[in-house]
Amino acid sequence: MHDTSGNPFLNGLWKQNPVFVQVLGMCPTLAITNSVKNAVAMGLATTFVLVCSNGLISMVRKLVPKQVRIATYIAIIATSVTVVDYLVKAISISVYKALGAYIPLIVANCIILERAEAFAGKKPVVPSMLDGLGMGLGFAFALSCLGTIREVLGAGTFFGFSLFGPNFEPWVLFLLPPGGFISLAIWLLTFTLWRERKARIATEQAALEQARKAAALNVIAEVRS
Amino acid sequence: MTAVTPKPAATTPTAKMIRMLGAVSLACGLLIVGTNLLTFNRIRSNTEVIMKESIAELLPSIDKQVVYRIEANGELTILHGLEGEGQRLFAGFDAAGKFLGVVLEANGRGYADVIVAMYAYAPESKTITGFKVVEMHETPGLGDRIGSDPQFAENFKALDTSHAIAAVKHGTKKSPWEIDALSGATISSRAVGRMLQKSIEELGPVVTKNLDRIKKGN
Repeated sequence: MHDTSGNPFLNGLWKQNPVFVQVLGMCPTLAITNSVKNAVAMGLATTFVLVCSNGLISMVRKLVPKQVRIATYIAIIATSVTVVDYLVKAISISVYKALGAYIPLIVANCIILERAEAFAGKKPVVPSMLDGLGMGLGFAFALSCLGTIREVLGAGTFFGFSLFGPNFEPWVLFLLPPGGFISLAIWLLTFTLWRERKARIATEQAALEQARKAAALNVIAEVRS
Repeated sequence: MTAVTPKPAATTPTAKMIRMLGAVSLACGLLIVGTNLLTFNRIRSNTEVIMKESIAELLPSIDKQVVYRIEANGELTILHGLEGEGQRLFAGFDAAGKFLGVVLEANGRGYADVIVAMYAYAPESKTITGFKVVEMHETPGLGDRIGSDPQFAENFKALDTSHAIAAVKHGTKKSPWEIDALSGATISSRAVGRMLQKSIEELGPVVTKNLDRIKKGN
């Protein structure tokens, strides 16, 4: 599997970003990123559920027999989502109006089950919740990246504010499903190129270092002879 | 996902698994029921706030409202306060006591789940003069524009109900009883047309029958 070492919070946010690195949770990523507001709202709702479900699953991890762990995880995840749904509805109408449509979608997000299986089922409570927070915010960040491209090009606005004035003819394509795939491709390409470049620089530097060392040894050998 | 234990000697007895799953389900069930009980009243009063706001938006100059419950036989009973079950009818009056119109509820199956909406109806001209979604779970960014798109809202400034309401393809609206569907949200738009037609079919005659009484607000 992938690397789960290091700080669980930063891991989720960047190194193991659920969308750009693990390419998980594609359904919400493509479906609801047609505006930055939607993306941020979905990201935050998912973060909240991830923290809750990771915490709960980590608490019961030693009690659950291996064979029935997935069923247990799903029950816990579905419960967290329902509880969050009720709480948001009770606490604030305006937040519910913004998030209401997204909350039930979270159950189907595979990131949650993946984090339960890969992390929370094996690790203590606090790191598990940190992992949930990191992964959730990483997901929110990735969704916002997609949402930015799609909203700016597809509607000519950012967070609802008009950017280019009334004469701008928006590319409606970017608001429709194909726009989701195109924007995702753009971001995945950017991230992959950036990661490859970083890896290449690292290997080149290592090679240079070795060459330098070899040269230095040569000089020493020459001086001695 | 993670490496499955290679040994087939899975020694957990079935009874233990069933016990564990039973315990987890019970705990989850209790948690959900508990949250529901705790939040029930808050959610209900929040829903009433949304309804009040919706009515105020649908009939902007409203000052006083009379709430009726529509009985199964088509008669009306005055309700005090917004609470209560069943179909409701809201009659709105401005500060001078002039009758503005009625607000009715409509619901129907949308793309994802039931859409609940309220609409303003002018009984004299038999037109719908406003439409507002109260609750929906339509696809964010596509179907949910039935509640936010200003162009879509234009359809309900004066929607004729003397003819069956129908949603038509985006850009092809010709008659005053047609709804110009949102592009990319045809199913949700059609659902709105259907639920309005169903509601007006049921409630229109009730309003007409009781119009004198509704206008007096008694």
